[in-house]
Amino acid sequence: MFTKRKMMAAGIVGFTMLSVTACSQGGGAATNNPNADSGQTIAATAAMPAPFNAGEVHVAIVQNTGQGDYFQQYLNGTKLQASALKMKLDVYDAQGDNATQATQLDQAIASGAKGIIVRHGYADTLCPGVNKALKAGIKVVIYDVEIQKCAPDAVQTQQSDAKMASLVLDQMATDIGKDAKVGYVNVLGIAPLDRRNLVWEQYKKDNNWSQKFFTGKFSSSTATDTAPMVYNALQANKDVVAIYAPYDELSKATLSALEQANMKSKVKVYGADISAADIELMRADGSPWVATGATDPNAIGAAVTRVLALDLAGELTTKNVEFPPILVTQQMLRDKNIKNMDDLRAAEPSLNISDTASAAWIPAIKF
Amino acid sequence: MTTTGTSPRAKLKPQPAPAAEEFTLWGKTRDGVVKYGFVAVTVLLFGYFALTQSAFATSDSLFAMLKYASVTAILGLGMTFSMVVGGMDMSIGSQAGLAVQLAAMTMVFYNMTGVTAGIIVVLGGVLVGLANAVLIVYFRIPDLLATLAMMFVIQGVKLIPVSGQSVSAGMVLPDGSVAPGRFTEGFLQIDRGMVGPVPLPVVIMLVLAVFTWFFLSRTKWGRLMYAVGANPQAARLSGVRVGFYRGLAYVLTSLLASVGGLILVSRIGQGDVNAGSSSLLEAVAVALVGTSVLGANKPNAWGTLLGALLISIVLTGMTMMGFQYYYQDTAKGLVLLVALVFSYTMSRKRVRFTPAT
Repeated sequence: MFTKRKMMAAGIVGFTMLSVTACSQGGGAATNNPNADSGQTIAATAAMPAPFNAGEVHVAIVQNTGQGDYFQQYLNGTKLQASALKMKLDVYDAQGDNATQATQLDQAIASGAKGIIVRHGYADTLCPGVNKALKAGIKVVIYDVEIQKCAPDAVQTQQSDAKMASLVLDQMATDIGKDAKVGYVNVLGIAPLDRRNLVWEQYKKDNNWSQKFFTGKFSSSTATDTAPMVYNALQANKDVVAIYAPYDELSKATLSALEQANMKSKVKVYGADISAADIELMRADGSPWVATGATDPNAIGAAVTRVLALDLAGELTTKNVEFPPILVTQQMLRDKNIKNMDDLRAAEPSLNISDTASAAWIPAIKF
Repeated sequence: MTTTGTSPRAKLKPQPAPAAEEFTLWGKTRDGVVKYGFVAVTVLLFGYFALTQSAFATSDSLFAMLKYASVTAILGLGMTFSMVVGGMDMSIGSQAGLAVQLAAMTMVFYNMTGVTAGIIVVLGGVLVGLANAVLIVYFRIPDLLATLAMMFVIQGVKLIPVSGQSVSAGMVLPDGSVAPGRFTEGFLQIDRGMVGPVPLPVVIMLVLAVFTWFFLSRTKWGRLMYAVGANPQAARLSGVRVGFYRGLAYVLTSLLASVGGLILVSRIGQGDVNAGSSSLLEAVAVALVGTSVLGANKPNAWGTLLGALLISIVLTGMTMMGFQYYYQDTAKGLVLLVALVFSYTMSRKRVRFTPAT
């Protein structure tokens, strides 16, 4: 009997040790990522108000997906700003599954978090949870979801997609003129992409562009899944001179389709978003990607966290915060020899929005 | 429980023939580990998280965890039926996705009630189940392959009437008009409703678990399904209508998949085109974990339920401890591996589930 117990115990201890070991390595790796932008903390010049003056404040981010450069950088900014503010940050990641995101929002509420950031997802899916949280006195800041149509008390933040699209499309109109044949790679039904779509429709009409194809697929591997669709569209429409693909995964898909179709020199690509990988793609020899609209996801991730902090401290005066983007062209990357995000930030200080949604007591993170 | 120094390695020592070790200490110990190991691990992990994370064991958090597990558990129960007859339904996730799309279209495109949507979803599920059954029983296509093909067909077909877009209230239809309907309040209560303090999907999950247990263990049909799964030849020679029971199992799988889909769509509140895509592997995983629980070594209802709860506990606890999703995926995989070791490596009973036989 004794031996039996011993054996059982040993087995269980072995298994538990296995999981604990896996855990501790995980924790270390997550905090020591050498590729992450570490940012600088601008020291606060005032004492922290409640609840920040009474120890760690428990908050959570409930994100629709964390995969991809953009979202990893966004989370990096969020984490750094949260730790500068001495917040305990739980990260819920639904991996693109909307039903999971809804339950994770419930879990975040149940976990006792005082503030929750909800990043991307469907308003219809998230509204019940968001309203429940608000009712329970939890501060909720939403990024890039049209939440206020069903949860009017939530704070809604977004990068200005209309501005981002119009900056890039102005450039496109200058480059290709009116009456040109163009392609369009986008996926509707996702808030930021819908907002860019509205601007696209307007420019298309104003410039009398003839849209030869419209394709694209949003999935867990958007770039890979969309590339063959664009390739096929190109085969049927070899006469397009420009393609608008307003999300960097879609821009990447378009680039690889052009490469495969051997049409790189004939077609210009206008995209959106920026990351180190995107900069490299734009700078590559003969790259057709000529312009993109950019914000720094690190800086936005940090700014959204500051919005939540202001809300928690009762100092937020608006329910809508927008982060302005800038235009980045291939020409500019080459002229100023910009090779990565750091170079870009140095060349374009307006990317840094460390003074947006800040206060004297907030140790803002600057990238 | 004492944690004395016997190395876990001891488990790997050469094993005497099964007959000889039947009554040895080692044999009994191994039985103990196989039988209660998983339950013990679940309880230990639960205790660990409850002690280290103050928010873990609150009632809100526990119900959130159960709710999180509900869809996975229901699809896992569905998978249990097809595994009992020795198969596996690869189309289960896409069937849940089909249910999402059907419900959304019924209400948003055709402006019908939530009850109608529910009926259409269930009918749709039964039809797909029958199709699977026909492919497997009459066309004699191996289970895995027939349902794999079905998975692709459903994934595509469900997107045709909606032009690949997620169905939401107020969307513009292909002909330029605005969709007339929306999700009814009653329908949304499938996921959002409460029975006392208990979320409705949790109640549905428990009811279906009892149904599955009762059907499989307490009825003639259930026992004959196990017989078919264990040895179709022997079952046939004893006069069991093997084809009927295999077909019935796939219809039941689809029925549960459509109920899971109903909860999903009520949770999302939109006809999300990607819904259900991650469900297949989760359903397989919890049903396999369930196979090893309590030393049953055959697919069973309580095991599947416990598997779903264990995974939900691990994921919730790890999230509270601050791990990113890729560590959680790793943990899920490890849980499944340990379960498989329990049932295939350490158990002396013959495993009653080997797919593609």
